[in-house]
Amino acid sequence: MLSVLIWLPILAAAIIAVIPKNLPTNTVRLSALYFAAIVLLWNIFILFKFDISNPGMQFQENIPWNETLGLSYQLGVDGLSILMLVLNSLLTWIAIYSSSKDTQRPRLFYSLILLVSGGVAGAFLAENLLLFFLFYELELIPFYLLISIWGGEKRGYAGIKFLIYTAVSGALILATFLGTVWLTGSTSFAFDAVSTQTLSAGLQIILLAGIVLGFGIKIPLVPFHTWLPDAYVEASAPIAILLGGVLAKLGTYGLLRFGMGMFPQAWSIFAPTLAIWGAVSAIYGAVVAIAQKDIKRMVAYSSIGHMGYILLAGAASNALALVGAVAQMFSHGLILAILFHLVGVVETKVGTRELDKLNGLMSPIRGLPLISALLVLSGMASAGIPGLTGFVAEFIVFQGSFSAFPIPTILCVVASGLTAVYFVILLNRTCFGRLDNLAYYPKVQWFEKTPALILAVLIIFLGVQPTWLVRWSEPTTTAMVAAIPAMEKTVNSEIALKP
Amino acid sequence: MDFANLASQLNAGTILPEGIVILTLLGVLIVDLILGRTSSRWIGYLAIAGLLAAIVALYFQWDATNPIAFSGGFNSDDLSIVFRGIIALSAVVTILMSIRYVEQSGTALAEFIAILLTATLGGMFLSGASELVMIFISLETLSISSYLLTGYTKRDPRSNEAALKYLLIGASSTAVFLYGVSLLYGLSGGQTELSAIADGIAKAHIGQSLGIVISLVFVIAGIGFKISAAPFHQWTPDVYEGAPTPVIAFLSVGSKAAGFALAIRLLTTVFPLVVDEWKFVFTALAVLSMVLGNVVALAQTSMKRMLAYSSIAQAGFVMIGMIAGTEAGYASMIFYLLVYLFMNLCGFTCIILFSLRTGTDQIAEYSGLYQKDPLLTLGLSISLLSLGGIPPLAGFFGKIYLFWAGWQAGLYWLVLLGLVTSVVSIYYYIRVVKMMVVKEPQEMSEVVKNYPPVQWNLPGFRPLQVGLIVTLIATTISGILSNPLFTLANNSVSHTAILQGTTAVSTQANAVNIEQPEKL
Repeated sequence: MLSVLIWLPILAAAIIAVIPKNLPTNTVRLSALYFAAIVLLWNIFILFKFDISNPGMQFQENIPWNETLGLSYQLGVDGLSILMLVLNSLLTWIAIYSSSKDTQRPRLFYSLILLVSGGVAGAFLAENLLLFFLFYELELIPFYLLISIWGGEKRGYAGIKFLIYTAVSGALILATFLGTVWLTGSTSFAFDAVSTQTLSAGLQIILLAGIVLGFGIKIPLVPFHTWLPDAYVEASAPIAILLGGVLAKLGTYGLLRFGMGMFPQAWSIFAPTLAIWGAVSAIYGAVVAIAQKDIKRMVAYSSIGHMGYILLAGAASNALALVGAVAQMFSHGLILAILFHLVGVVETKVGTRELDKLNGLMSPIRGLPLISALLVLSGMASAGIPGLTGFVAEFIVFQGSFSAFPIPTILCVVASGLTAVYFVILLNRTCFGRLDNLAYYPKVQWFEKTPALILAVLIIFLGVQPTWLVRWSEPTTTAMVAAIPAMEKTVNSEIALKP
Repeated sequence: MDFANLASQLNAGTILPEGIVILTLLGVLIVDLILGRTSSRWIGYLAIAGLLAAIVALYFQWDATNPIAFSGGFNSDDLSIVFRGIIALSAVVTILMSIRYVEQSGTALAEFIAILLTATLGGMFLSGASELVMIFISLETLSISSYLLTGYTKRDPRSNEAALKYLLIGASSTAVFLYGVSLLYGLSGGQTELSAIADGIAKAHIGQSLGIVISLVFVIAGIGFKISAAPFHQWTPDVYEGAPTPVIAFLSVGSKAAGFALAIRLLTTVFPLVVDEWKFVFTALAVLSMVLGNVVALAQTSMKRMLAYSSIAQAGFVMIGMIAGTEAGYASMIFYLLVYLFMNLCGFTCIILFSLRTGTDQIAEYSGLYQKDPLLTLGLSISLLSLGGIPPLAGFFGKIYLFWAGWQAGLYWLVLLGLVTSVVSIYYYIRVVKMMVVKEPQEMSEVVKNYPPVQWNLPGFRPLQVGLIVTLIATTISGILSNPLFTLANNSVSHTAILQGTTAVSTQANAVNIEQPEKL
């Protein structure tokens, strides 16, 4: 059942790679779109079959693979991963939909996208550390090629930078996995076979540090984020959607699943640091975004800021905050996708992304009124305006983490305010004002608006009906929190008050 | 001594695979003498058939009850069978590559194949040799044939220079090796058989004397040359650049496997008393090889030179398994060498194809190749990415097993260094992929613009294509379907008597290692 989510996209990738060369680009695109739609429907089907009251793994599959390595093909889905899977297949579909109808080398492009989609699904589903790592590293080369073949001007540089940062992240994660499994004396890399209870606190902290650094590069946390603006800005719009919407979630998912799930004790020791780190990330992302002159770069830094909240919520590690973290992961995926899509449309129609050159897009006749309206909506969603999904997620995060880490939470609230500041700057410079007399922009076709409209509907729907956002993850997160020692948490919150 | 006793002492059936290779070798030579150049159309296939028959014969030797032959001179245990198989297989693929290459260079194919088969023979005997003279003779058979092969295209000054360099360095390192070996003969009181030497040294109560250490260092100098471990690597880049490409393919897999087979057999049997010392020396070699091989490869512009440094680095990775010294460690080495065979030979096949069609092997000239020759681009990309350890290719599983075995043996820093240098290696492997795949049509190099239309029906191209596709498929799926290979590697180690004693000691050492981290 779950295997379909992995292997159908990969099979589709293989089919698309070998279809005849002389087919028009649009046919290739449409066939990729059909495959992605089937995967999405299958994913929604699984979402409805998902038993919300069960905190454990569901739909498990287990096939022995390589016993010498302790590697088995073990899949399962729980409240932490189910939404991420949906996000992945939804954004894959949207990315393919929003790709240009005359993409160069379409067969390679779409087969790489589908390959990535299958790999990401595999990483979210894997119940074996090595299997997770295998799928995690599988993203490396396809994304490198997607950035450096179909990217902007400095794509070569951005691609290599992405590649090296991600490879380092993979090396750190692999070292930690090997270390954890060997030191706990387990012979298998399966999740349930690994228990870190027997390890000393010092060792647990070292291993957790490996995990935090490894996934911190991917999330990205502040000192390791420098690949992100380059990669997001140089990537074409569909690739940026996948990078920001899906790949970044792999980092936070890994941090919660492995950092918190495998090292509950060390996690509670680390938590104050992580909370402050998250707050610093959020403030940094917001402040740097204010200074940007390029809208895509602004959105990229906003992504850094928003990932900071997830770290804060993870650090607080109570049931509410974790539900908020999952909700924030999902809603950030939606919001970032719509922003990147709209920025992509603006760039193709207007021909620039510079804040100093854009003006008056709101103008009803000659401008791009619907696109601007959607841009306003998604900017508001990103800044945390009530009625939209961003607010719901952020509010749950803040509500949950305030009791544990008041000061970092307040800093994050400030960052959220700063988010509003740079989005207002962005909207003011692009949508409002007067249009140049020389501006004649091509019309926006219907199919170009559709993805944004779908995302906008989702954003509004989840904003007014947030149950649909949080109900999936509640039992799982409650169970995860129960594993974390309670006493230390109160001690830590006192420590966190001091700085 | 009656005949039956003598026959059981000789146990000559164990070298049946080598016997087949010898017959093939003679067959190739005689056919060439009788028929002349006309035979070159099918003589390659004759050699391949002989080698495949030898591999089949090896299969029937698996788990033989009495592997010791020639009064202890040759040991046909499962370890040697695996290595002999690797060497024979690398010769098969090398012949597939060389049929066209040698023809195009205007030299005789039969002579080339004859020398190559001699080298194969030397390597195969070296894998099972367990007596000093036997080791030395098979090592020399391998080395002398390799010098001849390196200088085979004798009108090319680079090939001549490479042969001279290889000969001078090779001959002196063999001399050093010989000196170490003769010290062993003296120290053990006149024994030449490996296990007898170990007993002799143990009985002489010289323990870890200076003599043993000196002979150890001299022996390692000879081995390090064969597996091109830094700092004994200096010949590698120059020879790789100058020699005919099929020869490099053989040297990088067959000759290297023979070196590792020798290393395992000699070091574990003869030097049990100085286990820590040789592990220390090999740790130093591994660290140097991984760092130097991977870092210097970054700065190469020639494809063959880059692969030379890459093969130095890969030797460093393989040495991790050797230093671990556990059953998993040796098995991971064997597994890695098996998959290294597929990926390296796949890569070299693509390089040969490219240079046959364009006459150059500069990395910059590959740019924009995907448009003209997709199969070559796919093959070279897959093999290079596999060398870099990208999932789900064979090299990924090979590296994971090496690192996992290293970690189990407590080699934390070595594994971490291996991981870091793997990241470095991804950079230079991907550079070639970038040249071929990422470049736009307008960035195509001059050579690729004039690329001849891809034709497989020219004489000698069909075997190249077969070799490419077989190794490509093996590189792609032998990671995912790795269980048979894993079983093969694990069994070959666990069925081998000489490794049992050493691994028992190392597992005890591991037990200590497990407890140490608790004190952190």
